[in-house]
Amino acid sequence: MKIWKNYKTETAYDELMHSEFQSRPVSHGLCQYLDSLKKEDIDKRKMAAELAIMEMGITFTVYSDEGNIDRAWPFDIIPRIIDAKEWRIIEKGLKQRLTALNCFISDVYSDQTFIKAGKMPSGIINSSKNFRKECIGMKPRYNVWANICGTDLVRDKDGIMYVLEDNLRVPSGVSYMLENRVITKRVFPELFQGIDILPIDDYPIHLHNMLSSIAPHQNGQVTCVVLTPGIYNSAYFEHAYLAQQMGSQLVEGKDLVVDEDNYVYMRTIEGLEKVDVIYRRIDDDFLDPEVFRKDSTLGVPGLMRAWKAGNVALANAPGAGVADDKVVYAYVPEMIRYYLNEEPILPNVPTYLCSKKEDLDYVLEHLAELVVKPANESGGYGMLVGPQATAKEVENFRQIIQKDPRNYIAQPTLAISTAPTLCKGKLEPRHIDLRPFILQGENTFVTAGGLTRVALKKGSLVVNSSQGGGSKDTWIINMEGS
Amino acid sequence: MLSRSAERLYWLARYLERTENIARLVSVHMNLLLDLPKGVEMGWRQLILINAAEKEFYEKNNIANERNLIGFLLADASYPGSLFSSLSAARENIRTSRELLPDEAWEQVNEMYLFAKNNLDTVADRRHRVIFLNEILKGCQRFTGLLSGYMSHNHPYRFIRLGGNIERADMTSRILDLASLLLSESRSNEMRQYETILWMNVLKSLNALLMYRQQMRSRVKGDDVLNFLLLDINLPRSVGYCIAEMYDCISKLPNNDQLLLKLIDLETYVQAIDIRQTTQVQLRSILDVIQNKLGGLHTQISDNWFLTASGE
Repeated sequence: MKIWKNYKTETAYDELMHSEFQSRPVSHGLCQYLDSLKKEDIDKRKMAAELAIMEMGITFTVYSDEGNIDRAWPFDIIPRIIDAKEWRIIEKGLKQRLTALNCFISDVYSDQTFIKAGKMPSGIINSSKNFRKECIGMKPRYNVWANICGTDLVRDKDGIMYVLEDNLRVPSGVSYMLENRVITKRVFPELFQGIDILPIDDYPIHLHNMLSSIAPHQNGQVTCVVLTPGIYNSAYFEHAYLAQQMGSQLVEGKDLVVDEDNYVYMRTIEGLEKVDVIYRRIDDDFLDPEVFRKDSTLGVPGLMRAWKAGNVALANAPGAGVADDKVVYAYVPEMIRYYLNEEPILPNVPTYLCSKKEDLDYVLEHLAELVVKPANESGGYGMLVGPQATAKEVENFRQIIQKDPRNYIAQPTLAISTAPTLCKGKLEPRHIDLRPFILQGENTFVTAGGLTRVALKKGSLVVNSSQGGGSKDTWIINMEGS
Repeated sequence: MLSRSAERLYWLARYLERTENIARLVSVHMNLLLDLPKGVEMGWRQLILINAAEKEFYEKNNIANERNLIGFLLADASYPGSLFSSLSAARENIRTSRELLPDEAWEQVNEMYLFAKNNLDTVADRRHRVIFLNEILKGCQRFTGLLSGYMSHNHPYRFIRLGGNIERADMTSRILDLASLLLSESRSNEMRQYETILWMNVLKSLNALLMYRQQMRSRVKGDDVLNFLLLDINLPRSVGYCIAEMYDCISKLPNNDQLLLKLIDLETYVQAIDIRQTTQVQLRSILDVIQNKLGGLHTQISDNWFLTASGE
C-alpha cells in the first residue's frame, strides 16, 4: 500500500501506529479501511473535504501587514484516535484540574489562603497582568470564575499525556472541533458504521445549559448572548457559530447598554431588552472602558458595575485570567493537593520559572535545549524553541529573558506525539496536540475528545493555526464490546 | 431581535433581490437584442439607464458596447450596483447574521458567491454568460425557497421579506421607466413595428409574461401591461403586490404606527393611478413619485428599527 510507504514512527510516540507495519489496537479499524482505498480515492476525499470547508465558510483570520485575510481552515482528513478507557481518566483529570483552578481564583480574590499558607510567593499574583483588583470580594455563582476552559494536552515520547497550559480567558477552537466532525462524517460516512465513536455534537446544548445555570436569577426565561469584538476578530466565525447553535443572539458592544439601574440591556426592534448572561469573547482589557482600557470601543461602558451589582453573569468572569499564566501554571499540582486534598491525575510539564534565581541560571545555561515561553501570551507568539533556533535567536532571547525574568518560563522540549497526516498523497507523521473543552457551572462537562491541532510543516512543533497549523477530527473510541 | 440584526437581514434581502434582478434583466435583455434589428432605440445602453449608472459607467468606459456593459453590470467589484458587488454585500450581511438563519442559508449564499467569484471572467462570452446567469438565478430562488420552508416566519423573516419587497417594487418601477420609451410620441417606425415584442420583453424582465397571458387573456398591449405590472394584486412583482406584502410584514412588527400611515399613503396613490392614454411624460412623473415614496419608506424603516440610518 503506497500511502503508508516509509512511515517513520521512531522519533516520537505515534497515536495510531506502533510501527510502519503495525497499527495500534484502537486504530485497526481506521487503518484497515485506509488500506482498502486507492490513492485516487484518498485524493477525492481530500478534495471533498476542502470543498465542504469552502462552502461551509469555515475560516479563520490571519493578521498580517497587508490587512486581515480570511483563510480556509486547514484540515487533515485522517482522524486522531484515543481509546475511551484512557479518555475516561483524562476526563477525570481535567475536571479535577478546573475545579482546583476555580478554587484558586476564588481564593486569590478573597482570603488568599494559598499564599498565606506559603504555597506560592505573593509576588506572582501582584505582578500578574491578569490579576484584576476590581474583582476582589466578588462571588460568582458556584464560586466558578472560569466557566469555559480549553486545556492543551500533549503526549511525550513516554506515552504520558501532559498538561501544557490552561486557557481560562477566552479559549477558542471548539467550533472547529464540531465542524471537523461534520466534515469527517461527510467524507468518510462508511467509517461511522463499524466503529463506536463517541458523539460530540451536544456541546452547544451543554454550553447553553451551563450559561443558563449561572444566571443571576433563576426564575423564568434566561436571556443569554454571545458578545463578540466583531467581524474583524480572528475567531468571529466561532462566535457566530456558537450563537447560532445555541439559538442565542450574537451581540457587539454597541448593541448593549448599561442603564442607571445597573442592568444590562440590548437594543432591539422593540426597544431595550434585559440580558442575564453574557458569554463574552472579549478580553478583560476591552470589556468596560469605565474600568479597564479607556480607549476600548469593543466593550460596554458600565458592564463591570452591572456585574458587581450581581445583575448580569459574565462567562468567563473578569479576572479569571489570573490563573491563565504560565507561572501560575507551575503551581497547579500544588493547588490540587491543597484545595481538593487529592493527587493530580494529569501531570504538568516540568517548568522552570525564570523568576526563581536557581531556575533562571539553569535556563540560561540550557537555553538551546529548552522551550521558552512568555507567561501571558497565547497563539504561539513570542516563544523560543531552543533546538530549532539559530544561535543568534538564542542569544537574542537570552537578553529578552534577563530583562524581564518574571515574564518567562522554560520547559524541556518534548518529543510531542505524532499522527499520520496526509501530505501530498502520502501519510507522514506530524506533531499534534489536543485541546479538550471543559465547562463548569452548576455541573462540570468535558467534550468527548477535543480539537486536535497538527503542525503541518515537517518536523515543526508549533500547531497554532496562525502559524501553519491545521486540525484533525478527534475520535474517542469505545473498544469494549467490540 | 437586535436592531443591528434587523438592519443586516433587511439589507441582505435587498442585495440578494438586486442580484437576482440584475441577473434576470441582463438575461432577458440579451435574448431581446438577439431578435431586434439594428436601429431600434433599445440597446445595451438601456441597462445602465435602468440602474441610473450612466455617469459612473462613462467614467470607466468610453463606449457602451456589450463587452463593457456586461463587465460593468455583472463583474465590476468597484461599482456598488454590479451583480458581483450586490452578491458580495449580501454575503457580508449574512455572515454577520448567521445566528438568526438556518445553517443552509449561509452555505447557500456563500456557495453562490464562490461560484460567481470563480466565474467572473467567463461572463464576457455569451454562451458562458447564459450559464452564469442561470446559476445565479437558481441560487437566489433556492435561497428564497429555503427560508420559506426552513425558517420560522418570525420577525427576522419579516425583515427579510420587507427588504426583498421594497427592492422589488423599486426595480419594477425602474423597468417601467424604461418601458416609457415605448410611449414616446417621437418613437421610430422600427420601434412601432416591434412594439409587441418589446412589451413582451418588459413582462419577461419581471417573469410576468405567462401570468399576464393567463390573467388578461388578450394580446400584449401597452396599457394592459402597465396596469398589470403596477396594480395586479396577485403578481408577486407588481408594485401593488409588493406594497401589500410590506403591509403584511410591517403590521406584524412592533412600533409600526408611522410606517403603516406611510404605506397607506403609497397604496392609495398607486391604486388611484389611471393608466389609460398615459403619455410618456405622465408615466415618468408617476414613477418618480412612486420611487420617491419608496425612498421615504426606507428612511422611515431605518429610523424606526435600525441603529444607524444607512446600510452597509
